Amino acid sequence: MNRLSPPTTVLVLGLGNDILTDDAVGLLVAREVRARLGSKSGIEVRETTEMGLTLLDEIVDYDCLVLVDAVQTGQAPPGHVHEIGPDELPQVTATSPHFLGVGETLALGTSLGLVMPRLVRIFAIEVEDPFTLGTSPTPAVAQAVPVTVERVVAQALEWAKAED
Amino acid sequence: MDNVAQQLFNAGNLRANAAYAASKRNITIDPITRLEGHGKIDIYLDDKGDVERAYLQVPELRGFEVFCRGRPAEDMPQITSRICGVCPTAHHMASTKALDALYQIEPTSPGRKIRELVYHTFMLEDHALHVFILGGPDFIVGPEAPPAERNILGVIGKVGIEAGKKVIATRRRLRELIAYFGGKVVHPVLGLPGGVSKPLSAADLPKFRELAKDGVEFAQWTLDVFRTIVLKNPDYVKMITSDAYTHRTCYMGMVDEQNQVNFYDGRLRVVDCDGREVCEFTAAEYRDYIAEHVEPWSYMKFTYLKQRGWNGFVEGPETSIYSVAPLARLNAADGMATPLAQAAYEEFFKVLGGKPVHHTLANHWARVIEMIYAAERIEQLVNDPEITSPEVRRIPTAVPKVGIGVVEAPRGTLFHHYETDERGVIKMANMIVATGNNAGRIAMSVERAAKGMIKGGHVTEGLLNKVEMAFRAYDPCLGCATHTLPGHLPLNVGIYDRDHRLIRQLVQE
Repeated sequence: MNRLSPPTTVLVLGLGNDILTDDAVGLLVAREVRARLGSKSGIEVRETTEMGLTLLDEIVDYDCLVLVDAVQTGQAPPGHVHEIGPDELPQVTATSPHFLGVGETLALGTSLGLVMPRLVRIFAIEVEDPFTLGTSPTPAVAQAVPVTVERVVAQALEWAKAED
Repeated sequence: MDNVAQQLFNAGNLRANAAYAASKRNITIDPITRLEGHGKIDIYLDDKGDVERAYLQVPELRGFEVFCRGRPAEDMPQITSRICGVCPTAHHMASTKALDALYQIEPTSPGRKIRELVYHTFMLEDHALHVFILGGPDFIVGPEAPPAERNILGVIGKVGIEAGKKVIATRRRLRELIAYFGGKVVHPVLGLPGGVSKPLSAADLPKFRELAKDGVEFAQWTLDVFRTIVLKNPDYVKMITSDAYTHRTCYMGMVDEQNQVNFYDGRLRVVDCDGREVCEFTAAEYRDYIAEHVEPWSYMKFTYLKQRGWNGFVEGPETSIYSVAPLARLNAADGMATPLAQAAYEEFFKVLGGKPVHHTLANHWARVIEMIYAAERIEQLVNDPEITSPEVRRIPTAVPKVGIGVVEAPRGTLFHHYETDERGVIKMANMIVATGNNAGRIAMSVERAAKGMIKGGHVTEGLLNKVEMAFRAYDPCLGCATHTLPGHLPLNVGIYDRDHRLIRQLVQE
């Protein structure tokens, strides 16, 4: 993987699809976060449009991980930011044998002897339309971007400082 | 799909989403699960309360044609590869081939070989991911194993940590080869009408030759793992060959001049349930051979063999339903083009009692055989003297009009069809994806599972699990539509009475 030098410790990773309307929101947040933090040492900001096992390649060797993604639970209004800490992260699930999520990816990496992040926090933005091809998010989701950026930046800085 | 149907579809989708969300007491949010894509099964009962029909609803991507219209055709390989985070390289290649056809140009020989090199690397990587990660929980850990063990950690437990590391490391190296040519895997910038954008430097060849050698070894090792764990277990074999997972349909796959399996180019060949050739056609002729049928009770489109006409969801000599993906490809061909894969192919049909094999679960084994073929083909290509030639592109000069491209994607045949004005601006764009080609047979499998579990209006415990196993064997990829991780399919089953009123809903996360 492309790594900065000296080794960074905090990874901010935006996930999503840039041509599926609201699904791009994690990528939009990551871009803003990068612009805000510049080349601050100890923090790396990346985006990926891939899914599944790719996450393992992305997060290996980092101490801390801040994930930003779109989600549709139907139980919060579009634009709502769900914040998920390590305790609430679903671990290896029993009911879905094929499932490979964050918790499971961490467990897989650890079982293979890879260095996985010790601290993980997820910012998941409730979206309205992730199924229509398009490049502009819906208004409520667009409005959530600056708010999320603030929270992600604060979290990344806090961890980067603690790691000094 | 017309506008009314599209609106109905969207409304139905919203209701399903709302019902699904409302039924969840505790929300667990996992971003990699991404958006709540779910498998939606509809089961219709007759007046006795028995199953009349059942099917898996495959959600449809919205706005594809509108999004593409007015854009330069050259953008299509990038756009279509971005639609799906699961098989971007397959869309990229089908799209690139459609551009060749659009501009009536053949790629140079080295350009074609680089495309093939990248494509076979993708097939090997994606198949490996499926065998070990997505299908592994069922087959390596075992279909009857306790649910708590049927996950990726269970797979590692069974094959060993060293083997697990080997899988992860090999996969990463294969992806590096794809990235060498195309940049990011999801946004490859490799394919151009008439060739590719980048040659292979002679200086980089040794490491790819090393990878090719390791790839062949890796694929053969995978076959050994499969033989040891699956084939030596009589319970697994009994399950693979059981009636519950057997359907006598037609099969479609791409073949070369010798009727051997080909992922990148060739003619589409269809055989019937007795293995006899039904038809053979080129990508450009697909509309003469494949048609789409819509049932009054669904807005799903089921593809079928046009010349046979729509004969319903029937099996046997009358059927016009065909299946795609690894098993279908092996059935539709006369053999494999490389020696190790050919040996594995012969063993497959010998053990399973001759051609064609109708057992859906044999797809897992067929997939391993295709891994060997892909790896051997990579080795041939990196040892081809032409592979480092700088002549990787021919510049198109013809006036564009219609372009149809086809490849064999990991999950089956994938068609891209574009029509443009004389400047090459898209006027029409259509795709038939692998899961669409398989929709008819998937419906048959779901229906059979449901029939065994619902009698006289009584729903037996375990229905969800049985129907899930029935369609999971096809590895239906809803990634093009729902952007959810393949294989992770929270289930939402609706049961309807004879008047098509919803009488019961079952949800499984």
